[in-house]
Order: sequence, then C-alpha cells, then structure tokens
Amino acid sequence: MKIVISGVEVWYNSVKALDEVSAEIESGEMVFVIGPNGAGKTTLLKTIASIVKPSKGVIYIDGKTLSEIPQREIGKIIAFVDPHISRSIPSTVFEFLLTARYPHQNTFSISQSPQDVEIIDSIAKQFNITHLLNRRLDQLSSGELQRVLIARAMVQQPKILLLDEPSAFLDLRHRLETLRYVKNVVKTNDITCLVAIHDIYLASLYADKVVIMSRGSIIAFGTPDEVLKKEILEKVYNVRIAYVDVNGRKVIIPIEPI
Amino acid sequence: MAFELYKRKIKYFFVSLFTLLILAIIVIVISLSVGPAMLNPKDVFKAIFLKSFYSDVDPTIYSISMLRLSRTMASFFCGAALSLAGLLMQTITRNPLADPYIFGLSSTALTSIAIAVIVSPSFAVYRYNLVLVAFIGALTGYVITVSLAKLAGGDSLALVLAGVAVASLFSGVSHILLYVVQNIIRTPYVYFLMGSTSTVLLKDLNFLFYPTLLLLLIAIVFFKPLNAYLYGDDYAKQLGFNPKRIIFIAATIASILTAITVAFIGIVGFIGLAAPHIARFFVGSDHRFSIPITTLVGGIITTIADIVVRLISMFARGIGELPLGVITSVIGAPFLAYLIIRRSRA
Repeated sequence: MKIVISGVEVWYNSVKALDEVSAEIESGEMVFVIGPNGAGKTTLLKTIASIVKPSKGVIYIDGKTLSEIPQREIGKIIAFVDPHISRSIPSTVFEFLLTARYPHQNTFSISQSPQDVEIIDSIAKQFNITHLLNRRLDQLSSGELQRVLIARAMVQQPKILLLDEPSAFLDLRHRLETLRYVKNVVKTNDITCLVAIHDIYLASLYADKVVIMSRGSIIAFGTPDEVLKKEILEKVYNVRIAYVDVNGRKVIIPIEPI
Repeated sequence: MAFELYKRKIKYFFVSLFTLLILAIIVIVISLSVGPAMLNPKDVFKAIFLKSFYSDVDPTIYSISMLRLSRTMASFFCGAALSLAGLLMQTITRNPLADPYIFGLSSTALTSIAIAVIVSPSFAVYRYNLVLVAFIGALTGYVITVSLAKLAGGDSLALVLAGVAVASLFSGVSHILLYVVQNIIRTPYVYFLMGSTSTVLLKDLNFLFYPTLLLLLIAIVFFKPLNAYLYGDDYAKQLGFNPKRIIFIAATIASILTAITVAFIGIVGFIGLAAPHIARFFVGSDHRFSIPITTLVGGIITTIADIVVRLISMFARGIGELPLGVITSVIGAPFLAYLIIRRSRA
C-alpha cells in the first residue's frame, strides 16, 4: 500500500517531535529511516501506525486518510514492532503470538481457527523460535525477544510493516538473517515496510530508499547511493566519516565526533 | 509445535475446570455440613443433589443444611467475585501485586457506612440498608478514583496513583469515623474491616449471585482486548483496540464486583491477589482460560476459609467469629509461596 505523509506535525506536550514532515512511500518499498537519537524516527512510525495522532497534517494510506480508516481495520493493515512491550504479567511466547491474529478475528468469538495456529507454527519455524514458544516472555534473552517481536508482526500479516530498531540486541548473524528474511517477505507479499534503525551499514544493504531525519524533519530522502553521502551524514550526526571499500561496496565508518 | 501447545493449553483448561468444579461441589457440601450440629457430608449430598432419587431423605438434614446455604453461597460467590476483580485489576494495572481494593473502594465503602451510622444510628439496624450504603460508597470511590485518573492522563499508572491517593485518604477518614461509631453501636469495628459471612441472609443472595454471573460472562467476552492490553497501551492500540476503553470497561466490572462483596461480607484480603496467580499457574495468562479458573479457585478457597472460621470458633469458643480475611491469608499464602517457588524452577 502506498503511504503519503503530508505536512505532519506532532507535539509531545510542549516538545515538537515532527515538524512539517512530508514524504511518499511507494507500495512494496523497503524504506530505512536513520538519524540521531531524538530525530523523530520512532514518532514517525508511531504516527503512521496511528498510535500517535498528528496535530497538523495528514497521512494517506492508498488515498484514504488514517482517520477515515476504522481502528479495527488499521490492525489488519498495519503492524508496528515496538521494542518496549510490557512483560510484567507473566505470559508465554505462544500466548503473545496468538494475540497478533486478533485483528483478523471477530473480537467476541471464543474459538480459534486452526489456520491461525498454522500461521504461528510456520512463522515460528522461519524465525527459528519454535523452541521458545512455551517459554515466558520475561525469561527470554533480548535477542530472542527481538525475534519474537518481529515474528509477532509477521503473524499479524500486515500490508504495512513498521519496525522500530529491529537490529538492536541481535548478534551479527541474526541481524543479517532477520533483515534478509523481512526483506524476502516484504518483496514476495508486496508489503510496504519502514525500518527505523541506527545501523547505517544494514540500511545500505537492504534499503530500497533511505530517509535521513534530524530534529523532527526529513533532511534527505532517496536511494542509499543518493542519500548516504559523507557531507550529509557528517552534518546530521556531527561525526567525521570515512568510506572503506569492501567487495566493491562502500561501507561507512564513523571516525570521531566533530 | 504450535499445534501441540495449543491442544495442551485447551486440555489443561478443561482438566482444571472439571477438577475445580468437582472440588467446588465437595467443598460446598462440606460447608453445608459443618456447624454446631455436625452432619455427615454424604447425607447432605444426598439430601441436596439426589433428592429426587431418594425418598428416604431425612428432612432435618435438608433443613439444617439449608440454614447454612446462605453463608456458604455468600463465601463462594464473594470469593469468586473478589478473585475476578483481582484478576482484572492486575490486568488493568499490569501489576501482579494489584488487588481488588487498589482503587480505594473498601475505604470509601467503610467511610459511607460510618457516616450513615453517625447520621442515623437506627439506620444500621437493617442489614439491607448497610449493604446498599456500602455499595454506593464503593462506587463513589470508583468514580472519584477514575475522575482523578482522567485528570492525570487516564493511563494505567495514573489509575494506580489515583487509587493509592483515594485509598489512603479514605482509609484514614474511615478509621476516624469508625472510632466514633464504636461508641454509638458498641461493637468493635474490626468486623467491618476483616469480613464475615455470618450475617448474610438467603434473600439477599440474588444481589450477589446474578451480578457476579453476568459480570463474569461480560469479562470472558472481552478476553481478546484484555489479552492484547497485557502487552502495553501501544500494543493494544496497534491491534485496533482502544486501551482507555479497555481500562474503563475492566475497571467498572472489577469495581462493581468489589463493591458488592464489600457490601455483603466486608473486606476479605489476599484472595483477590492470590487466586489469579494460582489460576495463571494452571492455565496461563490467556483471559479466556484464566477468568473462569480464577473465579472457581477464589470461590473454593474462600469457602474453605469460611469452614475453617466456623471450626475454629466452635472449638476455641472465643467471642464471636474470626474474621474471614484472616483465614484466607493463612490458607492462601503458603499455597501461593509454593507456586512462586515452583514457577521459577520450571
């Protein structure tokens, strides 16, 4: 689905988190959002997920404004992977994954269709978390939890996938594996995907387009080659940057703070 | 793997459900048999459940056990209601230490009773009046807490903090007032504080039985929003549920249940805290399963506690009866402690 963000402004009490943000994201695109802490990456994702309401501006999903789409319908279309879920009441991974099917079910029906369990089964296999299904969420390592959280979003089978820091807490292999898997799913199912991430190298590997944000505004938006440029990154991050050539690919290395 | 897990969850649920139902019947029959005139539980079971098959049932057994029906039912349903309220409060606040009194309902109920007695001492003569006043007081407490929480943003933290504020204010006020009341009605006010089933009348039970059953059904119907809510406000929101509405519905159900029990038997601690944990140990945190199991567990433990109260008062010959809340803690706490240890080793 195509997302059009038009002049969106978000305030948290008296702090402006997004300032006149506008962008167009084509259907089936994988867009990585990068930028320093507090740039508004998460807020942008939350606004698209309709968790945060913009005080100005509109977001269109396939031509419809977000506020026109009923809340229940949004659950079917959009999945937002929030790294901060509450785990204070003990529950198992399986119980957690079951909740992801709720948008597709009648709210008040007690029974569970076998297909729902089937979807969980196959996605758990793909994410290599089958052995975790009966474990409690609060007893997982951060890397295991991260995989469970992304798997949850996949169980929801959304048309728009919003990932907040999916590579945090993952080891080197799982970073590459998880993002490659997400990219595969996104491409085969024509899912529009936004990823807020700090790892610029991962962005350059998997992104169709990259958004660079700073202080609530979009600084640059385009293909990785167009956007991940020394002068832009140095200005945004206040860090001196160098390129290293690895197998014909330019890899960005931070050198020192400016 | 997911299929086996799902089947096992359902199996655990039905095994727990049937075991608890049988246990509930046994406990209720024993409760009907225990008292100054001891009856054989077998005869009581025959007299009540198999009356149509046996023509030779002793009518005295039937009438004696019927005399104990009101307190038995009161303890079972109040226990069930409190446990459900406790489960909902724990879900709303996402705090495993929450209990039904976290919104200060018990203190406002007591305050309203104390005010009623001071304003019109003859008022307390009719138990029905006291029940009504306590109920109104508890609901008033709920309204105060929720309004305060709304002013503070309406999320679960605001609700807990508002509850703490209301609870401490009115617990102070109610103790001051009850101290005054002591002189008027000349009974120690401990009985209001710790709960007792000995004063419940059979004709009042309708006000306990039907609301509890109805609210139980409503709570089960809302199991999906409640499950989604467990993982956070934002999580519920992005599944298409409105977290503030979930809080409001669950808090209202829990508060009405608590208000009813405070009005009927006073304040019975611990059961609302422990029963949800015990249920979760058996069937997990999915509300579809945990709600029915929690209510049964709560009903059974409270009925056992009420039996123990009667046994102790018969053998120790103290003045009056022990408060129910004392026994629920003594019975429930070791069991809870055992479950906590087992869970961390599992």
